[in-house]
Amino acid sequence: MTAPSSRFILICSGKGGVGKTTLTANLGIALARQGARTAVLDADFGLRNLDLLLGLENRIVYTAQEVLAGSCRLEQALVKHKQQPNLALLPAGNPRMLEWLKPEDMRRIAAMVGEQFDYVLIDAPAGIEGGFRNAMAAAREAIVVTTPEVSAVRDADRVIGLLNSEGVKPIQLVLNRVRPKMMASQEMLAVDDVTDILALPLLGLVLEDEQVIVSTNRGEPLTLGEGGSPAARAYINVARRLRGEDVPLIDPSKERQGLRARIGRLMHTKIF
Amino acid sequence: MNAVLVPPDWDGAPGWLVLPSPTTPESAVTAVDLVQRALDEASLLTDRPLPRALGLAAAGWRLGVRQLRAVMERLAGSGVTLVALCSDDAHSRVAAAAVGLSTCAPLAQGPAGDRPPGPANDPGLALQRGTLRAGDHLEVEGSVLVLGDVNPGACVRAGGHVLVWGRLRGTAHAGCRGDTEARIVALQLRPLQLRIADVVARGPEDSPPAGMAEQASLVHGVIRLDPAQPFWPLASTESAAAATG
Repeated sequence: MTAPSSRFILICSGKGGVGKTTLTANLGIALARQGARTAVLDADFGLRNLDLLLGLENRIVYTAQEVLAGSCRLEQALVKHKQQPNLALLPAGNPRMLEWLKPEDMRRIAAMVGEQFDYVLIDAPAGIEGGFRNAMAAAREAIVVTTPEVSAVRDADRVIGLLNSEGVKPIQLVLNRVRPKMMASQEMLAVDDVTDILALPLLGLVLEDEQVIVSTNRGEPLTLGEGGSPAARAYINVARRLRGEDVPLIDPSKERQGLRARIGRLMHTKIF
Repeated sequence: MNAVLVPPDWDGAPGWLVLPSPTTPESAVTAVDLVQRALDEASLLTDRPLPRALGLAAAGWRLGVRQLRAVMERLAGSGVTLVALCSDDAHSRVAAAAVGLSTCAPLAQGPAGDRPPGPANDPGLALQRGTLRAGDHLEVEGSVLVLGDVNPGACVRAGGHVLVWGRLRGTAHAGCRGDTEARIVALQLRPLQLRIADVVARGPEDSPPAGMAEQASLVHGVIRLDPAQPFWPLASTESAAAATG
C-alpha cells in the first residue's frame, strides 16, 4: 500500500551538467532535516553519481537491480545516510541494466519505495531517450532544473513538452547557477527571460556558489552543514516551498544594492 | 461499425487501419478497443497476413499519448509496428509526433467529389490549444490558430495562414504548399525564422513594439512585417469561397 501522501518527484533538465544530481542530493538532505522521510532514487543508470555526492559510495551493497530481480529485499538495498537517518538512497544498478529496464520496472520500484517514505526524489539522467523515459514513468510531479543559458533553457523546454504529454504535473522550475552581477549587467538571461519561455512556477533560484564544488568533492551536500552559504540557503528554501511553506522569492538581479548597481540599472532603463 | 484494414499499395509500404468516426462522444467504445477488434478479426483470416508496418487513420478521434501507446502495444503484440497517424485533430497529431509517429492530415474531407476543387474546398482552421515547446512540430492542411506561444525550437507549418494568439519565437511556415497569399500573424512576432510559400527570412532582432500584433506577408517576393491589420485574415478565403459558391 502506497501512502496517499507520498510524493514522487522527478528532477530533470534535459541538458547535462546543470545541477540535477546536486539539487537531488541537497534537496534530499534538506527535506530529511525538516523531518520528512525522504528517499532519493538514482535513475541515472548509465552514469550514476548520486551516491558520490551523498558520500555513500562505499556503503552500497545491493542496488535497484537486485531488488528488481528479487535477490534481495528493498530494505537491504536502501542506504541510510549517516548523519540524516531520515534520508535513504536507492542506488542504481550497473549500466547494463539500461538494456532491459522497462518503465514498468521503474514504476514498480518507485511504488515499493513510496510505501515507506513521504518524498521520493528521482534523479533523472540527462537527455530525453530511454533512460529519461524510464525515470519519468515513476514520477507524478517534476522539478525542472535549468541555468540561465540559451541551450539549457531550450532543452528544458523540450523536456517540459514531454512531461506535459505524459501528464506529469505540477511541473516547477529551479533556476540554478544564477550570477546576479551578470544578470544586472544583462550579460546573462534574466529570470524573466527564462520564466517567459518556460512558463512554469519558479520554485527556487540558486546562486552560483564555489562551495558547491567543494561539497561535491567531499561527498557532503551543502545543506548538511550549518554554514549559510548562498546556495545552501537556496536549497533549504526550495525544500520549504516544496513542503507548502510560503517563502518569498527574491530576484537577485533586482535586489542588488549600492551606487554602482543603481547607476548601472539607470543606464539600462529606457527613459524615452 | 468496425475498423477497416486497407492493405499496402505496394511491397514495403505501410497498410492502413481506418477507424470509423466516433458515433457519440460518450460512446464506451475506445479507439484501442476498435484496434483490438480489428486485430482479432485479422488473426482469423489466415490467408491474408497482416502488414508489418501500419498507419492509423483516425478521423474524428482525439487520441492522447497514452491511447497511442496502448494502440502501439496491442499492434506490437501481433508483430505490427505503428508508423503513422492520419488525423484531422491537431491535438492527436502533436501527441503522435511525441511518440515518434509520422503524421498527416486527411486529404479529402467527406466522400471524394463531394466538394468542388478550388478555394471552396478550404480545409478550414485547425485549433491548437496550448504552447508548442521546443521539438514540437505541428503541420496542418489548412490554416492553424495556436492559442499559446510557439517557443524557440518549435515549428508550425500550415497550408494556409499561421495565427498565433501568443508569442511566436520558433519557426513558422505559412502557405507551405505554395500559397503566396498566406500570412503569419502573432501578438508578438519574434520568430527564429519565417517562411511563406518558398521564401525564407530570418526573424527581426530588435525588441518588438509594445502591445501591437504584427503580421508577415509576402510583398513582391520578399517577406515584410507590418502591424497586423484589424481584420481576421481568414475572412478573405471565406469571401472567396462565397464568391465561387
